[in-house]
Amino acid sequence: MKDIVSVDHLRVEFATDSGPVVGVEDVSFTIAPGETVCVVGESGSGKSVTSLSLMRLVEFGGGTIAAGALRFRRTDGTELDVAAASPAVMGEVRGNEIGMIFQEPMTALNPVFTIERQLTDGLMLHKNLSQAQASARALELLRSVRIPEPERRLKQYPHELSGGMRQRVVIAMAMACEPKLLIADEPTTALDVTIQAEILALINRLKRENGMAVLFITHDMAVVAQMADRVVVMYRGKIVETGTVEHIFTAPKEDYTKALLAAVPKLGEMKGKPAPERMRLIGDEAARAARIVPVARKKEVLLDVRHLTTRFPVKGGILRRTTAQVHAVEDVSFTLNVGETLALVGESGCGKSSCGRSILRLVQPTSGEVWIGGRDIGALNHHDLRRARADMQMVFQDPFASLNPYRRLKDQVAEPIVNFGLASGAALKERVEELFDRVHLPRAFMNRFPHELSGGQRQRVAIARALAVNPKLIVADEAVSALDVSVQAQVLNLMMELQEDLGLSYLFISHDMAVVERIAHQVGVMYLGRIVEIGPRAAIFESPAHSYTRQLLSAVPIADPSKRRFADDLAFKPIKSPIFPLGHQPAPSVYTEVAPGHFVLKD
Amino acid sequence: MTYVLNRLLSVILTLFLITLVTFAVTNILPGDVAMMIMGTQSNPEALEGLRQSLGLNDPLIMQYGNWVGGLLTGDWGTSLIFKKPIAELLAQKAVASAIIVVMSMTIALTLAVPLGVWAAVHRDRWQDTVSSSTSLLGVSLPDFFWGIVMILVFARWLGWFPSSGIVEPSEDFLGSLRYAFLPSLALGLGLMAHLTRMTRSTMTGILGQEFIRVARAKGLTERTVVWRYALANAIGPVITIAGLQIGYLFGSIIVMESLFGYTGMGWLTYQALLNRDLPLIQATVFVIAAVVMITNLLVDLLYVLIDPRVKLG
Repeated sequence: MKDIVSVDHLRVEFATDSGPVVGVEDVSFTIAPGETVCVVGESGSGKSVTSLSLMRLVEFGGGTIAAGALRFRRTDGTELDVAAASPAVMGEVRGNEIGMIFQEPMTALNPVFTIERQLTDGLMLHKNLSQAQASARALELLRSVRIPEPERRLKQYPHELSGGMRQRVVIAMAMACEPKLLIADEPTTALDVTIQAEILALINRLKRENGMAVLFITHDMAVVAQMADRVVVMYRGKIVETGTVEHIFTAPKEDYTKALLAAVPKLGEMKGKPAPERMRLIGDEAARAARIVPVARKKEVLLDVRHLTTRFPVKGGILRRTTAQVHAVEDVSFTLNVGETLALVGESGCGKSSCGRSILRLVQPTSGEVWIGGRDIGALNHHDLRRARADMQMVFQDPFASLNPYRRLKDQVAEPIVNFGLASGAALKERVEELFDRVHLPRAFMNRFPHELSGGQRQRVAIARALAVNPKLIVADEAVSALDVSVQAQVLNLMMELQEDLGLSYLFISHDMAVVERIAHQVGVMYLGRIVEIGPRAAIFESPAHSYTRQLLSAVPIADPSKRRFADDLAFKPIKSPIFPLGHQPAPSVYTEVAPGHFVLKD
Repeated sequence: MTYVLNRLLSVILTLFLITLVTFAVTNILPGDVAMMIMGTQSNPEALEGLRQSLGLNDPLIMQYGNWVGGLLTGDWGTSLIFKKPIAELLAQKAVASAIIVVMSMTIALTLAVPLGVWAAVHRDRWQDTVSSSTSLLGVSLPDFFWGIVMILVFARWLGWFPSSGIVEPSEDFLGSLRYAFLPSLALGLGLMAHLTRMTRSTMTGILGQEFIRVARAKGLTERTVVWRYALANAIGPVITIAGLQIGYLFGSIIVMESLFGYTGMGWLTYQALLNRDLPLIQATVFVIAAVVMITNLLVDLLYVLIDPRVKLG
């Protein structure tokens, strides 16, 4: 066996009260030395179970390796049957010959131990180093993952580091003993796009320098295209297709792979197209999606935001007085036309969500005006604001958290209608049925509870609820970010269909540039509370003028293996803090119009 | 440092409120100190003279001022029943009771933490049931019942420990521990239940966290993962509960010390209440409140050492 890893007909079962449940079944693949194999699949595909089995960590989650063989070639050249190895042998292999990194950098480090302790304990255990030797090696590791001020970091605790830095520490931990295989389970999913680009580049460099193999688990086809030598596509615990990355992306054989690839928006594919386009879907949805988007209607402004500013107090001291302010939204102005979509994009903490909430007055803006349909929302009293809310609805990111788990779906969709006294009795029932039809959910779901639905179906319910009062504006805050890619495509298509039919305007808040390129008419890029660049979609994506927009676009992974971008180390400028002392008066936002309707913030 | 100062300030403020409440309550209670000293049959003029000299005829505000002033300067007055300076009396008894409090808490923690960890590691298995029923048994029976059981088993049958009495720690420290052991064990069993449950639930939460998986993926032994990585994170809330239980302990020692004839603070409080020794009641209530508050302050400061995320700010 030349391969480092060979998995043969793996079957993992989980014990439940109602008998064993199969996690993965009949999974076979190999990894050669120095090779990156990506296992890709949607949630529930068994990709994480597969990687945890290789480390025999699946047992700690209640799983058992029921059948099949997992062979790992150890550093001394012997072949290890992982499924049958003793806990002592697995202890030698874990962290020493196989390193692993996980999805959540915020929770992957022990909060009460210093970075130094967490980096050195594995080294002292596996390599018999003294404390001093291990500390020296830890420092070396932090340098190799390019953490700024590595000496200081050693003495710090995890909460003192940013998410990107923590993920670098986790990688340094996994690399500590120079493993032959690195397992990366969704290592960049929780990170901002520029940090993701940096981490992907880092993994590529470390792999090159150390000649190790990488097993990369992800749901993101764009990341696969950027990282993989070979790809394993999984669906519901089974392997659908295996092949080289070029093969999978250019000539996929299986329908599932084709559908998965079709649903992934590729940055740059909308070049030269005047209007948003439906997401591509294969199968039942295809026919509906193929319908051409109608010509743009007459331009009429629905939402006019002028100099919107929102600041949050930072409290401190004995008397809990305000000691500083978070400048979440800073002098933001834009307009949104009837029947159009304006996307606000930016990285976490840029103020895009606060902006959306300030517009609906879910948080009280500090200053500025918000006009919707000729009414100044900021000037409304409590009573009128409640009335006005019928015109503006919101769809949130997490469809699990935004629905009440104890109420039937029909009641939740009916609630806003009852609340505004729009219908009752038979008319109400009819309206709710109509809304379920509208979002393509079977009427049989009306009597169900949220836990009986999938994530995509729940998000449809959330949309139905938002539509219930015939709003003119919907603020969609990362509304499709938590969904699997094929479901995401369906929900996006639904939203576009509703826009055409009902003339809805969307304020689409997202971090996903590829999705935004596909669906938006106008795009505003936010950074540190301000819009740094705003204009028609084509202008932003094809001729970005602000340095931050360019940086953001250059960090987006492209779902095309022929367009690889993360070979060398990347170091983007870290985002500055939006916290300022009391009384700080920032300069107003001044823009240059570089092309008709395309504005760039003057630095 | 500002945090410590802030906390000290709030302790002082609360202690001030406690002096107010204690003073008010004891003054509302029926009973005249002078009459208690001299007896009901005493001469009215002599009584009046004593009242005058004790300052009982002064306005309440002045009486309060004198009392607090005395507390601050170490003049805590004289106990009516023991005819001794209260400060001296308390200093002696407080040490005896401190031994019981510390010992019972130590017993409770050394039993509860391993039991809770054991239950969390084997969650939903028989070990979990054993652990939760054991701790439930500890809490469902009152302390004094455990006291009786202890006397029966360890004093009567086995004869390992004395069933009653006290040895002053200043005379024979080890001997005093022997006398304190049984009441402490009885109290510890009662305290254990909450601590076990708290340990189990925080450990269960922590063991499900990603950093535990990361620790395992590093190849660390299961012992290190559970007893270092997980327990270091889970112990904080357990310590907090233990700190709060100190207050509850002072209630329990009143019964337990009397049961074991152990003449500590609890016994002293009981005697003071029984004999309406007002100056002594005021002083014991004040001391107990102060100890509870300072314990909680220490626990909060300890928390800072345990969890670096808690800032002294």
